[in-house]
This record gives sequence, C-alpha cells and structure tokens, in this order.
Amino acid sequence: MKKIRLLCAAGMSTSLLVTKMQKEAEIQGLDYNISAHPVSESNNVIPNADVTLLGPQIRFNLKKLQKENPNAIIEAIDMQSYGMIDGKAVILQVKKLLEK
Amino acid sequence: MEGLELLSFQIISSVGTARSMYIEAISLAKEGNIDEARSLVEEGNKCFVEGHRHHAKIIQKEATGESFEINLLLIHAEDQLMSAEAFGIIANEFIDLYERLDKK
Repeated sequence: MKKIRLLCAAGMSTSLLVTKMQKEAEIQGLDYNISAHPVSESNNVIPNADVTLLGPQIRFNLKKLQKENPNAIIEAIDMQSYGMIDGKAVILQVKKLLEK
Repeated sequence: MEGLELLSFQIISSVGTARSMYIEAISLAKEGNIDEARSLVEEGNKCFVEGHRHHAKIIQKEATGESFEINLLLIHAEDQLMSAEAFGIIANEFIDLYERLDKK
C-alpha cells in the first residue's frame, strides 16, 4: 500500500481531486491510500508519506520542503491536471514518481 | 452555473501557480539571481493572464443575469486571484530592491 499525500493551502480545493484520484486508483487496481492536508501539517504528513504532492497555490514551498526532507518524494502537481481536476493524470504522475 | 466548479479550479490552478512563481522569484532575487527572478515573474504573468481569462467567463455570466451560488471554492479562487496580483506587484518591488542592495 502506497500513501499518497496532497498538500494544499486549506485542503479544500485538493479534496475533490483526491476523490477523483481514489476512483481512478480503484479502476486501475492500485493500492493507494490518498488524502489531502493543509500545508501547515507538512511536518507530520511528509515523513509518513510515500509520495507528497503540492497544490499550485503552495508550490513555492517545494524547494524548502525537499531540503527539509531529502529522502522524501515531493513534487508539485502539474498545473493543467490540477485545473482540470484530472484524477487520472495525477495518478499517472504518482506512478512515474514511484517508479524512479 | 454550469461548470462553475471547474472554472473555479482552473482559476485556482492558474493564479495559484502565478502566486507561487512570484513568491519563488523573491527567493531567487534574495539569492542574487536577479535575471532568473525576473524571468520567473514573466512566467507567472502568463499563468495569471490565463487565470483572468477563466475569471472573465464568470463575470460575463453574471452580467447576463445568470445567478449562481457563492461557495467556498469560488471564494478561494477570488482570494487567490487578488493575492496573486498583490504578490506580482510586491515581487517586482523586491527584485528591484535586492538588485539595488547587491549593487552597493
């Protein structure tokens, strides 16, 4: 089981994306546990996640969070995928990150 | 309004990215990378314009008398838009400041 964590400003806009990602993961038979959290909880969330994704509003934190968590997989959600609430595209982004 | 949720998401994504780019640009200027900072602001401006394009659709719909519910997501989109605009202005000022500081 892979833990996929999305970080967002308040956790609200990201939760719809989480729902779509969960549906897509189910369709593809992927054992992913996906949830959204406000960026203020990053210290608790990142160490326990397999992949952490940042929403566009908070992606300016990317370098800092990567530096603070050198062994973690942290990336920004693709802007187009987020805007279109494209669960499938973000799942694909997660798969590629896990493959590395 | 049909598609209001999607429009809100598109706005949040575009202007949110712009806002992040403006904030990153200030960091770059702080590190002394003035040119890179200005380039990133330019990139941010493109994203911001895209967000405004989506936002204009909502304004148009309201202007034709179409009514819709104000919800948290839409408020978040508006908030991110104004915040991005402010950071764009601030980023330019900070870049100029750091450039002046570096020259001393």
